[in-house]
Amino acid sequence: MVTVSLPEILDIRAASPLATELLQARGNPLMIDASSVAKVGAQCIQVLLSAHATWTADGLPLNVVHPSEPLLDALETLGIPFTDISEQESTK
Amino acid sequence: MDPMAAIKQTFFQECEEQLVELESGLLRMEDGDDDLETVNAVFRAVHSIKGGAGAFGFDELVEFVHVFETTLDLIRSAKLAATPAVTKTLLRASDVLADLVRAAREDGSADAGAVKVIADELSALLGGAPRHGDDDGKVSVEALDFQPVCISLDSIFDIGEPEAPATQDFIVRFKPSAGLYAKANESLRLLRELGSLGEMSVECDISEIPQLTELDPEGAYLCWTIRLTTTASEAEVREVFEFVEWDCELSVETADVGKLLEALQESLEPHEAPEAPVAVAEPKQTSVAIDPAPASFAAPSDEHPAAAKAESAKGEGSGSVQATIRVDLDRVDRLINLVGELVINQAMLSQRVSEAGLSRASSVVIGLDELEQLTRDIQDSVMAIRAQPVKPVFQRMSRTVREVASMTGKAVRLVMDGETTEVDKTVIERLTDPLTHMIRNAVDHGIEKAEDRIAAGKPEEGSLRLSATHRSGRIVIEVADDGAGINRARVRQIAVSKGLIPAEANLTDDEIDNLIFLPGFSTASSVSNISGRGVGMDVVKRAIQALGGRISISSVPGRGSTFSMSLPLTLAVLDGMVVTVGGQTLVIPLTAIIETLQPKKESVHELGTGSRVIATRNTFTPLIDVGAVLLYRDEPIEPTSQVALLVESESGAKCALLVDAIQGQRQVVIKSLETNYGHVHGIAAATILGDGRVALILDVDAIVARPRADMIVAEMPAAAE
Repeated sequence: MVTVSLPEILDIRAASPLATELLQARGNPLMIDASSVAKVGAQCIQVLLSAHATWTADGLPLNVVHPSEPLLDALETLGIPFTDISEQESTK
Repeated sequence: MDPMAAIKQTFFQECEEQLVELESGLLRMEDGDDDLETVNAVFRAVHSIKGGAGAFGFDELVEFVHVFETTLDLIRSAKLAATPAVTKTLLRASDVLADLVRAAREDGSADAGAVKVIADELSALLGGAPRHGDDDGKVSVEALDFQPVCISLDSIFDIGEPEAPATQDFIVRFKPSAGLYAKANESLRLLRELGSLGEMSVECDISEIPQLTELDPEGAYLCWTIRLTTTASEAEVREVFEFVEWDCELSVETADVGKLLEALQESLEPHEAPEAPVAVAEPKQTSVAIDPAPASFAAPSDEHPAAAKAESAKGEGSGSVQATIRVDLDRVDRLINLVGELVINQAMLSQRVSEAGLSRASSVVIGLDELEQLTRDIQDSVMAIRAQPVKPVFQRMSRTVREVASMTGKAVRLVMDGETTEVDKTVIERLTDPLTHMIRNAVDHGIEKAEDRIAAGKPEEGSLRLSATHRSGRIVIEVADDGAGINRARVRQIAVSKGLIPAEANLTDDEIDNLIFLPGFSTASSVSNISGRGVGMDVVKRAIQALGGRISISSVPGRGSTFSMSLPLTLAVLDGMVVTVGGQTLVIPLTAIIETLQPKKESVHELGTGSRVIATRNTFTPLIDVGAVLLYRDEPIEPTSQVALLVESESGAKCALLVDAIQGQRQVVIKSLETNYGHVHGIAAATILGDGRVALILDVDAIVARPRADMIVAEMPAAAE
């Protein structure tokens, strides 16, 4: 199990580093700690969506834990269910 | 045009197509086609009309269609057998349906009596089958099992009302591009802003998100469908996306229109390969459907688009969908005119080049030849756009036959052949009236009453054959009946009594038959209300001639008569032989010319009265000096100094036309003389030549028929005395 903590700011500049960091964890069950996210943009959400799809395809679990309020709010506004980025429901 | 009227017009256009579909399906059923797919096609056509009619609130139409549809449903589910009697009723029901559709389009009303008669007949067919609706047999729109989406159309299109702001539903589709994010814009912020306008539900399409290894973290893979309920206007909704409109795909539409369009789409769209689209009667409202693969409609039949269409008509539902677009007829006509001008211009250019004395091998001349080929191809393709199958006109005739047959109490079967043959739209439009008249005549006068037919040893049911074929660049349409044929003794007697021919005139059978085309000739001793109306075959003949066509008749006593019409495929261009006569340039249609010859002194013989014949291949052919006929010269000319063109008229009569010289062979653009000047005997039309001069196009038939006409006219006074 690999754990990755998401940074506070997940804007367009954070998308590439995030994708690189998650790719390095590929092949292992992944836990993403989203407790400190304060600001998020659609492109980082895309990275999270893609990661979830990749892990699912690999047959490995990927869970986003402790999602912050701003992240949940962004997902809701964008019309994206939490389970699209995480195997398990939100565990606030 | 306001949007409501536009949608209505589309509905009626679709209706026309469905009606053709319906009728052709029913005719196939009448011919014994019991394929379930045929019944289904018929059912779908009726069902589609019902859907649209319901959406527009044409209650009368919906009521009738509902009974019709229920009957068809019984046949579809094999609860009712499609016996000949049943299909006959269904065919008549389709006629009534066409009337009702027309009435709805013209805001008029159909013959309520006729509607009721057929509706009752259909109800009788339904028998004990359960029906929706109240007890008196009327079906209320609300009671229908098919419930078109109930939307008040009026409220949708009355957007301009300054009423208190009502909420509207918008469907916003938004697909940002990577550029949107790169410019520091953010979908999230845009959606939040949109949400501030009212109530919003968002659906995100994440299907384009790739695996992490293929993901461009700064790319754009998401798109959104947002349903927004708001008091804001469409402009205000769009304003949210004001700064990103170049970096995204955006559509904003009122949900009601979306819903309406979906409903209409569902109700109008045929669920199978659409057949050849149909021409509607009013030219202003019509559009032609363009086949995306244009083909010259003069092409031989095996590679003809009509052949393909016939295929798809047979294998309905299985064929691939042929994409068509509707185009305003005016636009097509403008294009055709322009191409006509292009042809003239290209001819002028060629002439200039040849005047400049350039060698045939020079690159300019070669380039021009290629241009000519290209121009011809363009012209063929453009003409193919206007080409339409004669099917709609033919199908209208089947109704005429049914009506006249039931009025006269005769049993008549119409057999159609070659209805996919294509011809210019104008020709089709102007064909309906003369054809209707001929069909009425054939049923009323041609085919005998049942008892006479039985006495003559013929089947009780008369047969009428309507056929169309392409023959050497023209379309030939034949109306053949198996009736009694022309009563020549009677025709002759009438012609004599009306002073049309002298009593002692010695006429061949053919000439007697053709007397019926003379103005003022009418064989019916009492004017019947069917083919009478004071219109004779002369009107038909004139209508056909106005189209540049010819009509002839052949008749065998006891076996029936055949009317044969030959029409040009198009009224726009013609291949012609350019000749000089008396210093004037004339064009003779190439289709009429058999051969050209140089008259020798020994082969020309005088016939006393000033007329001459020429001996060719062991036959004598009348020799006509075109210059004298057209009054270009008074003095007879020596034939040996001339060129003779052996021509054949539509009736098969041969003749040799004397001209001064042949200039060449050319495709010419026909400019109507009637429209721009007036009718001139012996002249069919005019054209503009390469040097910009006007040349007249010879009416070969009129010239060939001249000696005979002279005889009749010359002898007339004697008969009148």
